[in-house]
Amino acid sequence: MAQVAELLQYVATGLLVGGVYALMSIGLALIFGVMRVVNFAQGDFMMLGMYLTYFYALSGIDPLLGAVLTIPPFFVLGWVVHRGLLARVTGGGDPQRQMDAQLILTLGLSLVITNAATMILTPTPRGIRTAYATQAFAAGPILLNQARSYAFVMALILAAAVYVFLTRTDAGRALRAAADDPEAASYQGIDVRAMHGLAFGTGIALVAAAGGLLATYYPIEPSVAGNFIVLMFVAVVLGGLGSIPGAFVGGLVIGLVQSLTLLVLPFQLQNTGVFIVFLLVLYLRPQGLFGRRARAV
Amino acid sequence: MTPRARGWLAIAAIVVAGLVLSFVVQERYHHRVLTLVFLWAAMGLAWNIISGYAGQISFGHQVFFGIGAYVTVLLVVKTGLTPWIGMAVAVGVAILAAVLIGLPTFRLAGIYFGLATLAYPLIFRIVMDWLGYQEVAIPMKRDHPGWFMQFTEPRSFDLLALGVLAATLVLSRVIETSRLGYRLRAVKENEQAAEAMGVDAFRAKMTAYVLSAAPAAVVGAVYIHAILFIVTPEAVFGLLVISQTLVVSLVGGIGTLWGPLIGAAVMVPVSEVLDTTVGDRLPGIQGVVYGAALMLIMLYAPEGLFWRIQQTIRSRAGRRAAAVRPAITAPADELMASAPAGNVLLEVRDVSKAFIGLQALSEVSFDVHEREILGVIGPNGAGKTTLFNVLNGFLVPERGAVRFCGETVTGLRPNVLCQRGLGRTFQVPRTFPRLTVLENVMVGALVRAGLADARGVARDALTRVGMLDRADGLPGGLTTLELRLMELARCLATSPKLVLLDEPLAGLSTDGVDVMIAMIRRVRAGGITVVIIEHTMQALLRLADRLVVLDQGRRLAEGAPNDVTRNPAVIEAYLGKRWLARAGAPTC
Amino acid sequence: MLTLTGLGVTYDGLRALSDVSLDVGAGEFVTLVGPNGAGKTTLLKAISGSVPSAEGRVVYKGRDVGRLRPNERAALGIAHVPEGRRVFPTLSVRENLELGSYRRDARARRAEGLQTVLELFPILKARASQLAGSLSGGEQQMLALGRGLMAQPDLLLLDEPSQGLGPRIVEQIFETIDRIRRERRLTILLVEQRVVEALELCDRGYVLETGRVVLAGGRDALLADARVQRAYLGG
Repeated sequence: MAQVAELLQYVATGLLVGGVYALMSIGLALIFGVMRVVNFAQGDFMMLGMYLTYFYALSGIDPLLGAVLTIPPFFVLGWVVHRGLLARVTGGGDPQRQMDAQLILTLGLSLVITNAATMILTPTPRGIRTAYATQAFAAGPILLNQARSYAFVMALILAAAVYVFLTRTDAGRALRAAADDPEAASYQGIDVRAMHGLAFGTGIALVAAAGGLLATYYPIEPSVAGNFIVLMFVAVVLGGLGSIPGAFVGGLVIGLVQSLTLLVLPFQLQNTGVFIVFLLVLYLRPQGLFGRRARAV
Repeated sequence: MTPRARGWLAIAAIVVAGLVLSFVVQERYHHRVLTLVFLWAAMGLAWNIISGYAGQISFGHQVFFGIGAYVTVLLVVKTGLTPWIGMAVAVGVAILAAVLIGLPTFRLAGIYFGLATLAYPLIFRIVMDWLGYQEVAIPMKRDHPGWFMQFTEPRSFDLLALGVLAATLVLSRVIETSRLGYRLRAVKENEQAAEAMGVDAFRAKMTAYVLSAAPAAVVGAVYIHAILFIVTPEAVFGLLVISQTLVVSLVGGIGTLWGPLIGAAVMVPVSEVLDTTVGDRLPGIQGVVYGAALMLIMLYAPEGLFWRIQQTIRSRAGRRAAAVRPAITAPADELMASAPAGNVLLEVRDVSKAFIGLQALSEVSFDVHEREILGVIGPNGAGKTTLFNVLNGFLVPERGAVRFCGETVTGLRPNVLCQRGLGRTFQVPRTFPRLTVLENVMVGALVRAGLADARGVARDALTRVGMLDRADGLPGGLTTLELRLMELARCLATSPKLVLLDEPLAGLSTDGVDVMIAMIRRVRAGGITVVIIEHTMQALLRLADRLVVLDQGRRLAEGAPNDVTRNPAVIEAYLGKRWLARAGAPTC
Repeated sequence: MLTLTGLGVTYDGLRALSDVSLDVGAGEFVTLVGPNGAGKTTLLKAISGSVPSAEGRVVYKGRDVGRLRPNERAALGIAHVPEGRRVFPTLSVRENLELGSYRRDARARRAEGLQTVLELFPILKARASQLAGSLSGGEQQMLALGRGLMAQPDLLLLDEPSQGLGPRIVEQIFETIDRIRRERRLTILLVEQRVVEALELCDRGYVLETGRVVLAGGRDALLADARVQRAYLGG
């Protein structure tokens, strides 16, 4: 009986963190789905979002609110980065070369951001103190850390907001259309390049917000970027490259896998299960759970 | 001096220059920088073999670097084995790892391959952590330091590193100038076209991967002994290793042995200087510089400095030499005879192929006779290109069989079919853009000939289509007609018995069509059977001996061109039942 | 409304169109027929802007649109219903239609447009919340047509609506096109391989062969002209 309770505890914790992973991954999936760009710098923008939330917290703003407040500045940042950098990398017209070149561009961007952050913000880990970070809700035999619970709920709310945006607004539908078929989308009057900017801006804003939520219970330091980028990739691939609901489910699953791995392995190996899942997906079902047919590039 | 000899001379010059530098430099610190330049250049060259020559961008090459480091050091620690031998063992392990990793991973297409390569170093890091090897220090061996690669004289490390670099340069050069090199470049430029020209792409990639793993392991082993002294998973399997490799190769130039040399010579000293001067106050300055370098290169010179410089030189030369070349005219040809023989060369029996929601081919059957010119026609969506893809091996039919020269060939891969004598050209010319016209054709020749003969075979093929004087140019400068002729030559160089020509006349001017028709007749006169898909009906009627008509995946009619074009069923297929009804019996 | 003068297009390295000139007057229904590979689709793409033209001019409503990108031309009232339908598979039928009225001038009349289209194509009404990717070929064609109409276009470009569809559906589609034409007095440029159906609907027609206009004339003249057959089958 105690074992069931322990199992449930791990499952619960896994789902709670999974929610935040889900939010991170949605951003990555949106960028890939619309632009076919694998954004290596996603983790770095998340890390910057964590820092911004930290600075908000220093000014007295609760991190849960601070996370939401990272959205506008990071949206603008994402738009600018797209216009200024990504849109200029064309790879000489060949779509495959362009994808490779943009990928390497984001890798370079990632290096710059992480290392610049180390230089400017110093490697000293920071943390946000809140009352609820150290308290827990009791749900039967399970303890739910309050910070993680609030973060989970916020993550769901934001994900729901994204969902509404994508399904109920013209801009959101236009984004999905541009992801499905850019040529046909342009025939409807959709400016596909602007859609790319919109997708990138939104993707960055989402991951920054996720970072803010993460900051309620996770230490803030420049190296965080590297810890989570792989989790995001796996979640997106598991869900199906380019599928937003897939990325959401993928994030939850990865949270679960990571948590359950702790049942058998020590803390520093907690990502082992995640990598095994990654390789399994790539070899057994590369299109993921909700995989879309490959769009002719 | 031949270009070949010049290449070797250049390598020798680099090695000599390295030697000179090593002996000129005095300070310990400068030796360290020199060692690093040599080592990272070698690592870049190793990466270049799989990612540059073969075009499979790997984000996980540090796996082999780390294997080299760990195996060598662990052998010293556990068994006291000298790293000079330990390195060889490490190379063996690396090669094994390359095979195990490559086998499943090369099956993955495009972006998935890159993502998968990310996973392996991470797994190795975890494994090493788990095995308890978070920090393995090289034990000091005071008795026989040289025996354990623990030199006191810093110059010795330079020379060791230079040796590794020299060996990798030689390996790269050998690959570049071998059959494998041509095949890899063809696969990189256009895998499908390469397969159709007889190249086994999977085998070529695997070979390249294995060959790229070995030097990486050696670099890792030397790096640990010369620079780090302590092996940690982060240091040898971590992101910084692959970043450094990428920067060195991408900045310098991908796909050439000069690239990593230039990249290392530029980037390593810069980052080392920055590290020593401001590294304390600005930790991570190296990463910022590398990241910025990657970004700038992707924005302004995505192929790397080497190619950008070469391009600038070539375009200036090109502008000067853009003399008016004589246009290719139709040969006033001789033996147009060679009537088709009676025996059947290719049999298509009840071939059916379906895609999701679409039956592309339905029980299609026909024969192709030796030395005939057979035209395959049909309205849009009839399944003609699907048919070619089945005949060529790119698609496998669900039902039915294809027999070529008396043997069943259904389901064989394109490169195997090409080796058996079934050649193909594509609707949109699929060239290897960075190879010269001659080299493009040579790839085809390599099916039958060794490298030495391939050049001759290629020149021969080019002469047959009248393109010999374009041999040394790049495909980018050719007109549509010339591109088609080059493709034809490339196909002819594979010594085919039968060629599948996919819309060879599309987009040509009237003169071009004349030239192409004459060339195709020439091909047949040389004893080769020709099957053509075409829409340009007027031209095809002049050329074809017989026609096969497909409509909605079925064979509708077969026979002499004039009969077929007057066949009511065929008219109906093209123009509709109601046209037929309106027009009554068609008259001209 | 639309005038092409001396249009030349190179596409995929091939010379797809040479010296093509044609015009479509306001309210006219013009058909363009020709064999496969003649360049018909490329012509429509050159008009809607997804393929650049090497020579010649595309003048729409008196304005040279050569420099405008596809979405800009669409905003001016050109609706291109592409070859192969190209509906957005992961969006629902309704969402596809709503997206059709993306351009500003059409947005205001979205509700009204939706009602008209669903009335025109009852099957779409029945499947309104289904994903477009799950529809049959004929249904997707209707959806693509409906999507084009939602843009309240001034010029409707139809690219081989019959492609890959069975004869009964094709008849239905052509009937609907005829009805649309009669009810709304749209300007239509139809590209088709099926000669008779397409010519019967039109006011005037052109025949394209290997990138050039080889025949032009009024509906009845073309329907009786044996040269049309020759364009397809030689001889």
